[in-house]
Parts: sequence; C-alpha cells; structure tokens
Amino acid sequence: MLAMNKIKILGIAVAAVATTVVVTSCKDKRSTGWEYAPNMYEHIAYDPDQPNPNFKDGKTAQKPPAGTMPVGFVSFDYPNTKDGYELAGTEVKNPLPSTQANFEDGKVLFEHFCSPCHGMKGLGDGLVVAHGFPPPPSYSTGQSSRGGAMKDLSDGKIYHTITYGVNAMGSYASQLAPEERWKVIMYVHHLQTL
Amino acid sequence: MAGLAICGLTAYAQGDASKGEAIFKAKCTACHKLDQRVIGPALGPTLQTETDDKWLTKWIQNNQALIAAKDPKALKIYNEFNQSAMTVFGDLSDGDVANVIAYVRTEYKKEQTAAPAAGAATAVQETGPSNLVVFGLIGVVIIAFIVILVLNKVINTLERLVASRPALAPEEVAVEEAGPSKGILLAKALVKNKKFVFFVCLCATIFFASWTWVSLWNTNVHTGYQPVQPIKFPHDLHAGAMQINCQYCHSGAYKSKNATIPSLNICMNCHKTIDRLSTSKTPSTEIAKIYDALGYDPGTQKYDSTKMHPIQWVRVHNLPDLAYFNHSQHVKVQGLKCQTCHGPVETMKEVYQYSPLTMKWCIQCHKRTEINIKGNAYYEKMEQVHELIRKGGKVTEAMMGGIECGKCHY
Repeated sequence: MLAMNKIKILGIAVAAVATTVVVTSCKDKRSTGWEYAPNMYEHIAYDPDQPNPNFKDGKTAQKPPAGTMPVGFVSFDYPNTKDGYELAGTEVKNPLPSTQANFEDGKVLFEHFCSPCHGMKGLGDGLVVAHGFPPPPSYSTGQSSRGGAMKDLSDGKIYHTITYGVNAMGSYASQLAPEERWKVIMYVHHLQTL
Repeated sequence: MAGLAICGLTAYAQGDASKGEAIFKAKCTACHKLDQRVIGPALGPTLQTETDDKWLTKWIQNNQALIAAKDPKALKIYNEFNQSAMTVFGDLSDGDVANVIAYVRTEYKKEQTAAPAAGAATAVQETGPSNLVVFGLIGVVIIAFIVILVLNKVINTLERLVASRPALAPEEVAVEEAGPSKGILLAKALVKNKKFVFFVCLCATIFFASWTWVSLWNTNVHTGYQPVQPIKFPHDLHAGAMQINCQYCHSGAYKSKNATIPSLNICMNCHKTIDRLSTSKTPSTEIAKIYDALGYDPGTQKYDSTKMHPIQWVRVHNLPDLAYFNHSQHVKVQGLKCQTCHGPVETMKEVYQYSPLTMKWCIQCHKRTEINIKGNAYYEKMEQVHELIRKGGKVTEAMMGGIECGKCHY
C-alpha cells in the first residue's frame, strides 16, 4: 500500500512539473516577459539612440551647434565640387607613415566597408553588385567618371571621394574616421596595381 | 503593321543592338537604367525624345567638351544633374555608340510592350485571392441562413409535439432535478475522502512551487525576445546573402561602448539607388519607409528637411544600468565574433535575442576565455610590474595608474 502511494506521489509530482514547464515555456516572443525592477532596464539616463522629450525633435543625439568643432576634429577644407576634387588631388597627401600595421588595418577596413560593392580585389564585383547594385569601375582597369584611369587616382582624390561620395557611392565620413580613411587609401593603392 | 514597325525600327536605329548590349552592360549600367533615374537620366525615355544621333554621339564620346563649348542642351543636362559630370568615353567609336543607342531603343520598346501585359497579369493575380475570400464569405452567410431556417423548423415541430402531448414536458423536468443531486453527492464523498484531498493539495503545491521556480529564473531574462520593428529589415539578405560585414552598419562596435543602430544616411549609401528587390517590378514599401522618414523624393532625388522624423526602432538587447558592458573591448581587443553573443544574425529574417545576457552567462564565458597579452598595453604593463616585484623592485600606487584622474574623480 505504502509503495503504491509513493509511486503515485512521484508520478503526480513529475506530471505537475512537466505541465508547469510546458505552460511557462509558451512564452510570447513579442514581450520581454516578467521584469523585476524595470526602471533598471528602462534607463533613467538617456542613451544616444533613445527618444528624449526634452528636445524639440525628440532625439537624444543632437547635432553640435553651428560653428563648433569637436576636440580633435580634422577638417578637410575642399568643397564637394569638381574643382575641390582636383585641388585635393594635387595638395592633399597621406599623413600616416606607410607601415605594415597601417596597411593591415586598411585591408580589414576595406573588406568591411568597401568590398560589398568594390569587391575583395577592387574589381567592382562585390556581392551587393551581384544583387543588382550599379557596379563601380575597377581600380586597376576602369575609367573614373571625373576623368583619367582609376589606377592613377591620387591620395587626395580618393580621400575626397570617400569623404563626400560620388555618383552611386555615398559619403563614408560618418563611418570612417579620417585616420581610417587614410588606412583604407593605403590598401586601395595596392589594389590599383593588381 | 508589325512588318512596317520592324522596318521602321531598323532603318531608324542603324546600329547592331546585340553588340550594343555588351557595351551597355560594361560601360553604362554603373550610372544608368532604362526605365529609372539613377545617377544619370533614365535612358529609355530620354533616347525616345532625343533623336539627334550625331549630338548624342558627341555627348557620349566627350560630354566635357560639349559643356566647355557651352552647348545649350549639354548645359541643361549638366545643371539638372547637380553638375556631376559623366565619364568621358573617348574609347568608343561612332559605330560602338550607334550600337549602344540601338540597343537602348529596342530594349526599351520591348520592355514597354511587355509591361502592360505583365501589369494585367499581376492585376488578375491580385484580385484572385480577394475574390475567393468574398465568394467564400457569401457562401458561409448563405449556409448560416439555411442552418437557421432548418433549426427554426425543427424548433417549431418540437413545440407542436410538446403542445399536442402535454405528458412529455414534466418528465424532462424530473430528469433534470435528479442530475445535480447525484453530482453534489459525488463531490461530498470526495471532500470527505482524506486521501483524495491530500493528493489535490499536493498537486497544487508542486504545481505552484515549480511554476514559481521557473518564472523566477526567467524574470528579466529576455532570450528569444523578437519585437516587431518599424521597418522589416532583413538581416538574412544584407548580412547573409550579400555578406555585408556587421561593422558596415554597426560601426560603433569597434570604437565605442555602444554598437550603434545605423543612422539613415548609412541606409541611403545603397538605397539612394536601390528602391526595390532585384526580383521585384514594384518599389518596396519597406524601403519607402526610409524615404518617408528622410523626406526624400526618389523622383527628384532631393531631401525635404521639414518632413524628416526619426525611426523608432525597438531595442532588442538591453542590459540594466547596473551592468557596464563595452562592445569595443570585446570586439576589438579580444577579437570576438559578433555571432558569439548575438547568434546567427546572418540567417535571421527578423532579429531576436539569442543569448540570455544574464550574469551567469557572462561569468561562464569570462571563466573559460583565455586572454591575449601580446600587443595589449594594459596586460603588458601588468606583466612588467609583476616582473619588477619578482626582482625585488619597488612598485608604487602611481605606477599602477593610481594618479589617473578617473581613479578618484569618476
């Protein structure tokens, strides 16, 4: 009799635990579920990408006031025109030393930011192009839309193009810091010789 | 009619369209499409209205010369497209240019004649399912009416039956009275049964105890959380099929605490030119939401800053304020792959939280992961200090960074 009861109790316990697990695992994926102390999760301090009722446009990330410059800002005083492009091409030179470390960094940055369109070897055959994006000219054999061969593009011209963009290419100034742009240019010069 | 049209077409085009196609795809598609304005004008309609082939040849071979010579037509195009110059194609002979022009004209004609037919086909397809639904609903309504009518008739006949034989009604009531009393008896018997009561109590206790246990363990754990986002951004297409690196959009992950949600200018790097899937004939409604948020008009390619409004993405991964986490430390210094914590994002159509992000989860990884001392200034300095202590040297607080401002004034 006692043994029977034990088996029954055990069986019921297992069944109860199993049903609980089944019941609680049916979680709504659109909800975060129960939260303890939610004010720890919904920060009182504002994150840059959060809405903010204190500003007129409702954003925490505000633009710096007009005419101000962040500390350490590197200016590039060539306008986004054909003349600015040509002038930058003759006047601006890469300030970074040509070291193996800079070149390696440039390779990684190129693969992350440029290769989707320009391709791993700069031939203008990236995977985004394969999905229907207009192909850019090849660094080694193509012609630039602003005159001359792509392989002859100088430091300043490439820097101007990365900073402002040209044709289908957008500006990469928000994604690449000036120093990173120069590292990318080192690697692009290598691809021009391929 | 058809014969005349073909004769007219060949006489008018002169070039070889098949040879033109190869040149067009190699030289022109970077900036032009047949039916859409991209960087340059849509070539189909432009070449239909512009029939002066000699001028076109001059323009294609050296547009800069025409602009320099202040040709009025050339200046008009130059100014309309924000003075962005077209590539000079001096390497194309007159014959090559004629071939390209022939290709553009014949191809655009083909597309135009194919378009109305395709449009009609999609229209039929679009109305197809809705017709089915409408007819289905009408059918359901009719069937429901029939059922109501039949049931009404059945009720009527039953009522007549009861009215004609009054003996039937009281009998039914008697049966109903006997039912509940039996149930109450059974319940009373069960309540008096101590074993049964014990088992019920035990079941309830185990159920609530295990429910409490599971819920407490899962409180504040958001694994699998998959909120609905304002734009259905497919990571599987961008990071999967096109293998765009995570850093392209989340460029903050290598430099800062925050991996950053990309601002719309990064979307527009590509979506300035791409407004639909490569397989689709109509513009994507999801990409249109980007244009809407920016006040961008794809027809004129101009932004209207008065219509700009931010897109409110819903945060998926959220750490409480009590925990400090820095992306750059993990990605740049340790060289972790994004997938280690975020899971196979490149296969996700809709992003969900892959890891629990609990303290236990953090600690487990920190216990197992070996650090790379080489090339890391912090650990190298620590190693130097240890070496100094081993040699019996004096190590001061200042040498350990004790006079850094942030040590006291944080």
